[in-house]
Amino acid sequence: MNDADIDADATDRMLLQRMSGGDRAALAVLYRSYHGRLVRFLSRLTRRADVIEEVINDCFWIAWQKASGFHGDSRVSTWIFGIAYRCGLKTLRQHGDEPVEDDGREDRMPSHDPGEDRELRDWLAKGLKHLSADQRVVVELVYGLGHTLEDVAVIMQCPVGTVKARLFHARVKLRNTLPALAGEPPLQKEKTP
Amino acid sequence: MKFPMDVGKDCARAWEIMPWTLQGSAPQAQDEWLTRHLVECESCRTEFAQQQRLRRAVALPPDIAVDADAGLRHLLARIDAPDIQETSPRSRTSWTMRALVAAVLVQALGIGVLGARLWSESQHPAYRTLSQPSLPAPQGAIHVVPDEAMKLADWNALLHSLRLRVVGGPNDVGAYTVVPAADTAAPDDTLRKLRAAHGIRLAEPVATAP
Ligand SMILES: [Zn+2]
Repeated sequence: MNDADIDADATDRMLLQRMSGGDRAALAVLYRSYHGRLVRFLSRLTRRADVIEEVINDCFWIAWQKASGFHGDSRVSTWIFGIAYRCGLKTLRQHGDEPVEDDGREDRMPSHDPGEDRELRDWLAKGLKHLSADQRVVVELVYGLGHTLEDVAVIMQCPVGTVKARLFHARVKLRNTLPALAGEPPLQKEKTP
Repeated sequence: MKFPMDVGKDCARAWEIMPWTLQGSAPQAQDEWLTRHLVECESCRTEFAQQQRLRRAVALPPDIAVDADAGLRHLLARIDAPDIQETSPRSRTSWTMRALVAAVLVQALGIGVLGARLWSESQHPAYRTLSQPSLPAPQGAIHVVPDEAMKLADWNALLHSLRLRVVGGPNDVGAYTVVPAADTAAPDDTLRKLRAAHGIRLAEPVATAP
């Protein structure tokens, strides 16, 4: 944890404490501060905006009710992403065979990305397609949100070894499916036995 | 390449360190070791460049539009919805619930006419309000409505200092029935102190005249 993380966590704790006293303004502040991160995190599980909102609200509904039970065994962000992950899995199960993966119902923003960003996005999407939901979640938690192995284990409620294995297999798959940087020789192929 | 570990022990170690170096969470000695390895290992340089690219790609803002304001409005509406199950944040119910349980226990243990009366009173809470003292209350009984935000400890301390005992409630408007200890001299004084107490919204003597 760096200083900025420690400050952010202190603020989150203060907000949770106020929420446990029924303070809706504190809830609103926490909601807004996590919204962007949660949208991206959950976009690794579903492409539907309505499902993402549903999961975020389930998550904060639980955070609102359990705010007084938070005793600071982990960072607040670890706690919130853990709730969001479980709500996300539950919602996906409830939606059963409804399409939640990439398909026609995808709620994509009209893209204002500069060319490089769009290219990067497409490059990533190509790779993530080959990963399991849990592998995509680990990639987002580690590379996107900057959580440690231990944090990810708490969030996904599994042993650190399982997180390591998921990360390892995700990286191998990405490496084998994603084209190398333009202009670089495809080194992986040359070295394949 | 199926298994990136087959390129040597150092490369396997480099592979493991990369994400944490990118995050800035690896110990400095590891960062330095990785930098030295990258200088001499082209394969790991390529992998590290791919890892940096992966990190940049994952860190792009989400490409799905989800309106935070609308979501928050929906959440607050859900929290304030008039559904008993979904509108009981702890602040409102925890101590009131415990006090209610205590009151019911008092009633259950209270052998005799008073206990029986209070018990039957509690069976029809929906039909009673403060303005309908529907049954003979014990001598000197007072209806008290504490503030929702009042702490249980403060409520208990107040009752103790005024030598009051909860014999019923809360009813549907959150009123408790309290009675002074038998030898309390000045009921008016107790009432005045109750009304002046912090966290008490209302204190009214119960009409005991037949
Ligand atoms: Zn190497």
